[in-house]
Amino acid sequence: MDYKHLADQLDMDETEFLELVALFVDTTRTDLKKIRQGVSCGDFSRAAAAAHSIKGAAGNLGFTRMADLARKMETAANGASFENFDAYITDLETRVDALIPT
Amino acid sequence: MEKFQPYTVLAVDDNLLNLKMIEKSLSREGYQIFIAGNGSEGRTIAREKHPDLILLDIEMPGENGFEVIRKLKEDAVTNPIPVIFLTGISDVNAKLKGFDLGAVDYITKPFHPLEVLARVRIHLKLSIATNSLIQNQAAKLLQVAQAQSAMLPVPENYPAARFGVYYKALQEAGGDFYDILNISDHITGYFVADFSGHDIKTSYLTASVKALLAQNCTPLYSPRESMKMVNAVLKEILPESKYLTACYMHMNRSTRTMTIVNAGHPPAACLPVQGDAYLVTSQGDVLGMFSDAHFGVSRIKVSKGDRFFVYSDGLVESVGKKINWSAGAGRLLPVFNDLRSFSFADAPGQLIRYLSAENNSPEDDVVVLCIEV
Repeated sequence: MDYKHLADQLDMDETEFLELVALFVDTTRTDLKKIRQGVSCGDFSRAAAAAHSIKGAAGNLGFTRMADLARKMETAANGASFENFDAYITDLETRVDALIPT
Repeated sequence: MEKFQPYTVLAVDDNLLNLKMIEKSLSREGYQIFIAGNGSEGRTIAREKHPDLILLDIEMPGENGFEVIRKLKEDAVTNPIPVIFLTGISDVNAKLKGFDLGAVDYITKPFHPLEVLARVRIHLKLSIATNSLIQNQAAKLLQVAQAQSAMLPVPENYPAARFGVYYKALQEAGGDFYDILNISDHITGYFVADFSGHDIKTSYLTASVKALLAQNCTPLYSPRESMKMVNAVLKEILPESKYLTACYMHMNRSTRTMTIVNAGHPPAACLPVQGDAYLVTSQGDVLGMFSDAHFGVSRIKVSKGDRFFVYSDGLVESVGKKINWSAGAGRLLPVFNDLRSFSFADAPGQLIRYLSAENNSPEDDVVVLCIEV
């Protein structure tokens, strides 16, 4: 992941950007938990709200693939469907884990 | 050195990352940022901190952005603060709903920090310009009020006219007006009028009326002729549907005659030295409306010490209590009798104090003149 480039895109320096990435990792993990809870108890609106939150945050940081996955989940949940959610969640988790700076 | 006061922005969003992004990008440009994670907390901060601008997310758990802005706009403290919505919603109806509720702009998510900064800047500039416009207008109205009151004669400058006055405009540009005219050594004219409306045009018109009175209230014309002349010119210069009610009192100390011309105005009251107060009722058309206006004229023989009260409808009318002129004026007669113990200079002020004590404070502009023969 080219953080320098993403930071430049937002007119930020890399350190500032990495602080936001760390915050994104935390909030997205919390949101993913909410999505899982929504799936397990059939609460579509809870899952949709959490997916909406991930979509906005990922989009703001320039993580377009993650924003796109979250958008698909939000749309599905708003249509009362959890189709492909396991795959979406796994994909998102992998991408979030990969963000943690080593 | 005076401490620099930064502009303040409140950001309300349930997503902490969005709040932090806004905070970082705006604070480094010199803004002070308050953040709130939900609508209710946002409203509390808005009330307490009174920020210069609010960035408000629409989709939030609990109170959504639409509910929050509705409550902000209902609250007089937070109503003037410009609100920009942050939203992922691209539906035009949702956007229009936001504008209807009082939002000044939208920022679509995902947002770029520089776009947020640019929109915050432009709306702060607009807000500052609007506020300064309002303050300028208020200052101008104040100047008008000062100019208007400078046109009203003060009793000290007209000792021979022997009158006392109470004048109060409820708004900056009042609709009531009075003038004193030294027609000759022994003749004085007293003119009290009430313009329809209290707008700024009214206050400029008072200068025209004052000039017209000076031109036409002369020994060459009878009081009725003077008012006919004034009416003819006003008919030409007044905007449509604008008119004034007036009472013109012409006191000739040599012949001991008071001539009262009524132009649609509440009746003047006469308080003779001997006897009870009574209303001088004579009907007449308003000034400035009809070219063939008719004015009621009353001639009264007067004695030294007789007094006359002339006033605007604000003194006797009450919209709230549904009291019109005639009923209101009649109720004042006993009060006029009671004012004998005060000097003519103090009587108008005492009359207002009496009405206030009776919980009948005037609801409109008010002018009261007390004239003593």
